[in-house]
Amino acid sequence: MATHALAPATTAYRPGLYEWLTTTDHKKIGIMYVINSFLFFLIGGFFALGVRAELAQPGLQIFTDEHVYNEFFSIHATVMIFLFIIPILAGLGNYIVPLMIGAPDMAFPRVNALSFWMLPLAGLLLLSGFLTQGGAAASGWTSYPPLSEVGPTKSPGPGEDLWIVAIVLIGTSSILGGINFLVTIFKMRAPGMTLFRMPIMVWTMLVTSVLVVMATPVITSALVMLFIDRNYGGHFFDPFGGGNAVLYQNIFWFYSHPAVYVMVLPAMGIVSEVLPVFSRKPLFGYKAFIFATAGIGALGFSVWAHHMFTTGSVFLPFFSLMTFLIAVPTGVKMFNWVATIFRGKLSFSTPFIFAIGFLTMFLIGGINGAFSAAVPVDFALHDTYFVVAHLHYVLFGGSVFGVFAGLYYWFPKMSGRMLDETLGKVHFVLMFVGFNLTFFPMHMLGLQGMPRRIADYASNAGWNDWNLLASIGGFIIGISILPFIWNVFISLRNGKVAGDDPWEGNTLEWATSSPPPPYNFDRLPEIRSERPVFDARHGRLTPHDEMGPA
Amino acid sequence: MTADAPALGVVETGEVGQPTIIAEGHVARGISNPILGMLLFITSEVMFFAGLFAAYFSTRAGNHPWPPKQFDSILNPLSLILVATVILITSSFTCQFAVWSIRRGDRTGFIRNISVTFVLGIVFLLLQAYDYSLLFGEGMTLGSGPFGTTYFTLTGFHGAHVFGGVLMLGVILYRGMAGQFSSRHHDAVEAVSLYWHFVDVVWIILFSVLYLV
Amino acid sequence: MSSTPRKRLAPEAILAAVVVILLAVLVPLVVYSGAGSSLFPPTAVTTQAKGTRGLYDIVFALAIAIFVAVEGVIIWSVIRYRRRPGDNELPPQTHGNNLIEIVWTLIPTVIVLYLFAISWNTLNTVDAVSSSPDMRVHAVAAQFQWKFEYLDNNGKVIATQTEPDAAKGGGLAVPVGKNVLVTLDSPDVIHAFYVPKFLFKRDVVPGQTNRFQFTVDATEATDGHPNVFGGQCAELCGTGHRTMLFNVIAMSPGDFDTWLQALIAKNNATPPPAPSGAPAFALTAHNVAFDKTSLDVQAGQPFVIDFKNTDAGTPHDVDIRQSDKTTVVQDQPVTEGGAESTYTYNALQPGTYVFICSIHPTLMSGTLTVH
Repeated sequence: MATHALAPATTAYRPGLYEWLTTTDHKKIGIMYVINSFLFFLIGGFFALGVRAELAQPGLQIFTDEHVYNEFFSIHATVMIFLFIIPILAGLGNYIVPLMIGAPDMAFPRVNALSFWMLPLAGLLLLSGFLTQGGAAASGWTSYPPLSEVGPTKSPGPGEDLWIVAIVLIGTSSILGGINFLVTIFKMRAPGMTLFRMPIMVWTMLVTSVLVVMATPVITSALVMLFIDRNYGGHFFDPFGGGNAVLYQNIFWFYSHPAVYVMVLPAMGIVSEVLPVFSRKPLFGYKAFIFATAGIGALGFSVWAHHMFTTGSVFLPFFSLMTFLIAVPTGVKMFNWVATIFRGKLSFSTPFIFAIGFLTMFLIGGINGAFSAAVPVDFALHDTYFVVAHLHYVLFGGSVFGVFAGLYYWFPKMSGRMLDETLGKVHFVLMFVGFNLTFFPMHMLGLQGMPRRIADYASNAGWNDWNLLASIGGFIIGISILPFIWNVFISLRNGKVAGDDPWEGNTLEWATSSPPPPYNFDRLPEIRSERPVFDARHGRLTPHDEMGPA
Repeated sequence: MTADAPALGVVETGEVGQPTIIAEGHVARGISNPILGMLLFITSEVMFFAGLFAAYFSTRAGNHPWPPKQFDSILNPLSLILVATVILITSSFTCQFAVWSIRRGDRTGFIRNISVTFVLGIVFLLLQAYDYSLLFGEGMTLGSGPFGTTYFTLTGFHGAHVFGGVLMLGVILYRGMAGQFSSRHHDAVEAVSLYWHFVDVVWIILFSVLYLV
Repeated sequence: MSSTPRKRLAPEAILAAVVVILLAVLVPLVVYSGAGSSLFPPTAVTTQAKGTRGLYDIVFALAIAIFVAVEGVIIWSVIRYRRRPGDNELPPQTHGNNLIEIVWTLIPTVIVLYLFAISWNTLNTVDAVSSSPDMRVHAVAAQFQWKFEYLDNNGKVIATQTEPDAAKGGGLAVPVGKNVLVTLDSPDVIHAFYVPKFLFKRDVVPGQTNRFQFTVDATEATDGHPNVFGGQCAELCGTGHRTMLFNVIAMSPGDFDTWLQALIAKNNATPPPAPSGAPAFALTAHNVAFDKTSLDVQAGQPFVIDFKNTDAGTPHDVDIRQSDKTTVVQDQPVTEGGAESTYTYNALQPGTYVFICSIHPTLMSGTLTVH
């Protein structure tokens, strides 16, 4: 057992806060990503509750200045997408990927730190728009020109410019992170870990990083051009100056569609780690899963104009076909997950429950997306609350539940303590009920004709009851966060000690202490399959020894 | 049974082109991390320019005549800009000579070639700036219609990338003079030269699209 | 207790089967009953909308089937395969099954190709634009009001409707059973023409004229019994986005002819002269702002505002409201961009009011003091 370890790095540790501010350790950076992103989750949630409070009943009760309402939903979405979901998945990936591949850190630790610190700065810049004369950005998170250009009834103030700068900063942070992940995954795997023995979480981070590196610069170019239009007399998107308003949409969605896979693939990776562990069997169809993920990544670049079906400028059949086709690899993954739990031996710990929540809710999001792929139906549903239902079923019912599965699963590894199971289950039940109560009625609202992004609606439109239900659900979601926060607080101080491997995990992070030492591993087990720790626990040397009853 | 952890020991370097043994069981293969990182970074920059080019072509297709009458022959390929183009292409050659020098261990040759590249890069920027002033004098600016906006956006961002490249060249020039590079260890030089070639290729495409087509 | 060695139905299996069967029965029952009617779009009133509705129904049926099937297997598994406490045996470590995986890749592919085929087919009906429509309308969406122009076969404007609200005597009137071509333009930002009962919307993009056609079903209106449909802008266009409502009024062809003649007459009518002796005030709208922030008038006497709208493409008006900016005292019709109007106001009691543009209330208002 003796190892010729390097002299421990503990003497080089800087004290307390200074350590956290200057660290390049991927584990600490990952934790900071998670904490920062969670704070922005609460901020984004605050804006959402503002929207729901206004829409609970017909009539303008809170936002007598409709511009502020427009700021609220614009900043809600911007914060949730760019400051919460994308970074929290990047952060969980940052923490776990080097551990899962047996590496001591990411390829570029200092760039890793830079990537993180750009985020709180960008968040502050974005939110500072509220303190300016014209308020924060108010033309939606999509910021379409000409509304996002300069003019008395458009977006004259600096809030929109701050929004642009913030997104460009966040995009840069993302791209640097994506490069870091790709080099780490390709070059720093432990001996024996071939590509087809990597955990699915690592595969999804790989495909996600390819999307990030290739798509994010495109939105940077769109925003840079918008900035030039706004501040330097440019005419890229000004139709009365030789430009084209729809051009922006094409460039914007070329990024923003792959972006939704950036927002969901790592969460799918988490689910693919959690389900096998708590079913006590391997992921069904590991290789097919990888090809499906790569297929989604590739196809994801071909569907962007399905966000623009009603513009009258899109070659409809092509984008409709590609959008329908992308349902196939997504369905394959769904079936793989279901086949994993089928005939397993299921333990209902909190990570597993959230993963099941992902499965059941993401399915609904995938199904209601198919409606919009049918172009004539999209003509009815585009820009209505039906789309709001769809996006929240995939992003909240999917990604957010996946994130919580990952947080409950890896909290013991990160902190050395177990989270309380009862509080976890209370969190899940409240969140699941609140989520469905908020977003299921939005299917009805969209079908009955309620458009998006309106501060108020006619009291005789027949939308009152669904809106009230949705608002109540929204506040239940808000309440559901409280048991989680309380759980983290008490468990950090007093939680049960976790040990190396509290869940009987499959992958390498469970082969080291909780939390791991700064250099991650003292020793690594032999890597002969995608489940090296499982193999070590069961004394297997070849990947396909079958055990147990046939 | 799990094997003992590989012994961590003295770093042994192999000859150029041979695998480098960092520790028993760990072998550095193929492309190095910094160079792979730079290639990926260049990929992202290509996509950034792709977005700008897409906007250029779309704008050009929607505006007739192109160039507009007032700027009909303002972009003359046979002018100062041709000199700048030749200078930038030459700098790519001198940059590659510098890479070959350091691969051979020829530190003097490396410093000489990198210095020339560095200077040529600065000359390109100065020529570009002067050319801009001539265009401004003739009334073509960022705000003078789609022709001006697209021209200055594309060439402006290219110039910004050249400036970044010049800074990087300055850094490896400094490090080279401080003796930090050898035939075995010069990843930064390889990476910067890849970036510099990328900047040159973008310019060739830009020049062709803006001036020749 | 663990199950006996011989094959006997585990209690979990029975529970799981019951729950799944309940799901498979109740879900379709509920969604296809009256309670589920809000899961379907409103009744289609145009021929195109009926095509879209047919497509929706097929997609919906498939959606319910897939939902019940997949959720059913998940719920079955979650109930049936619960690990019993103390059971440390591993279940069969199935890594995959090539045949099953091929089948469950091929079947969804076939399903989505089928869905694509039928939706493309429906699209060709919905998006069809014939070169000889029965009627042409030009809809102009500005921030924040709709305007409708009726065109003759050469595209010349024969009548203009600046009031989009049917309750105020306006709206887009169309004859039933006739093919109406709508062209869409905007002088400012992107809007969208959306009528829920048409199951249809189309963006109004500045710099680009979009077009679509519809035929309201002949049964939707008869002589003397028009039918009013609600419409709304469905693309965020600024602070007045939620107020950009309009109506489509379906009428019998006979009623429509009468209505159109009345509109033409109203367009051509000379406005009544201002009451003699009434004081006149000049007011201009420029860059979505009034050039005056306050006006003083005498109580008990009608007065006139000579209003000039210099904002090309942007409609304005000058209404009088109480100082709460909401309670209407007197409404005025819209003045189009580039036009002038002479607005006559009734006598007012002494007090403080506001004069306000109803289309841009937050940007354009001023104090009206009545002595």
